[in-house]
Amino acid sequence: MHEFPVMPLGPFNIDISTTVAILVSVIVTFLIAKLAVRNLSVDNPSKMQNFLEWVVDFVQNFISSTMPANRVKPFISLGMTLIMFIFISNLLGLPFGIVTETHHAHENLGITQELLDEKGGHVELAWWKSPTADISVTAGLALIVFVIVHFLGLKLNRKHYLKHYFHPFPVFFPVNIIETISKPVTLALRLFANIFAGEVLIATILMLGWYGTPFLAAWQAFSLFVGGIQAFLFTILTMVYISQAAIHDEEH
Amino acid sequence: MGWHWESTVIAMVAFGLLYWLLSKYAFGPLFEVMEKRRQLVLEQMNTAESSRKAAEQQMEEQKAALQQARKEAYEIIEQSRTTSSKQAEEIVQTAKSEASRLKDDALKDIESEKNKAIAALRTEVGGISVKIASKIIEKQVDEKSQEQLVGQYLKEVGNK
Repeated sequence: MHEFPVMPLGPFNIDISTTVAILVSVIVTFLIAKLAVRNLSVDNPSKMQNFLEWVVDFVQNFISSTMPANRVKPFISLGMTLIMFIFISNLLGLPFGIVTETHHAHENLGITQELLDEKGGHVELAWWKSPTADISVTAGLALIVFVIVHFLGLKLNRKHYLKHYFHPFPVFFPVNIIETISKPVTLALRLFANIFAGEVLIATILMLGWYGTPFLAAWQAFSLFVGGIQAFLFTILTMVYISQAAIHDEEH
Repeated sequence: MGWHWESTVIAMVAFGLLYWLLSKYAFGPLFEVMEKRRQLVLEQMNTAESSRKAAEQQMEEQKAALQQARKEAYEIIEQSRTTSSKQAEEIVQTAKSEASRLKDDALKDIESEKNKAIAALRTEVGGISVKIASKIIEKQVDEKSQEQLVGQYLKEVGNK
């Protein structure tokens, strides 16, 4: 498998491919959104504006399926950002990869002599991947969701939010704590595992050489689908968690 | 591949930044425009509704006006019919009274003419009889009796 270049920067170890991928995803997402709203028009929207409005409608609809319609509005921006960023991140690693080969130790890229020896003096460095194929990144996203969910729960719905830890009986407290922690963990792992598996399989198919081209095409198409599904899942689960923690319906 | 907490921090910061940027520069204006469009559609629907109502009302008014006009026309015709029949009656009445007046006048004229003729005849007859009488008297009355007659006459005149 490929190694990923890690640059030690003072006390930090910066994963270059991940950092680059995150930045590219952010920039691409922002550029797409910015292009879509370039010439905003009320009665004559451009194609891009129509597309983004369709995304807004879509996001609004599936958020409405998780919480009362009148509470949806503040979360549309969050849902849009999540789904667009994660979808673009998921696709980033699909079309191509950048791999360099090195036979020398590069301390400032994390290639130590030991690693080189271990790999038989030959290390392949992958410079390009989906940021969501890195557990550190998906953990970051899940952590953001975790913070938002519990902050909103405490802020908007304190009584019921705190009560739900002891529901239905106080002895369930440990179970509820496990559930609370498992939510962001599964969120992060699910997204990471799906995208990472996709990239691993792409790398594996690439080893087949030219014979693998049809498989690669099929798998890339499937990865496109998986990327969309995972982005959607992550976003809707976020909304479900927010709804569970922060929105208290009168009827239960 | 491994765990790098730096990547986590970078991802979180990048996502936060992206959220802020998108909210401010992309979604904010987009939501505003969508809201504006919603308002516009609502407004247009209201306008359509009110104009439909106005049209209906106008239709109603026009119908009423037409009905009114029809009624007025009928009234005018009715009025003229009564007026004309009344006038005809009047004309006939006038003609009748005129005719009777003319008849009366003619009768009166006839009467007066008759009376005149009678009077004239009487005078004539009187004159003739006087003449006849005087002719007879000329032959029979003598001087004396004539004198007596004249005297009587004068006396009669003096008495009057």
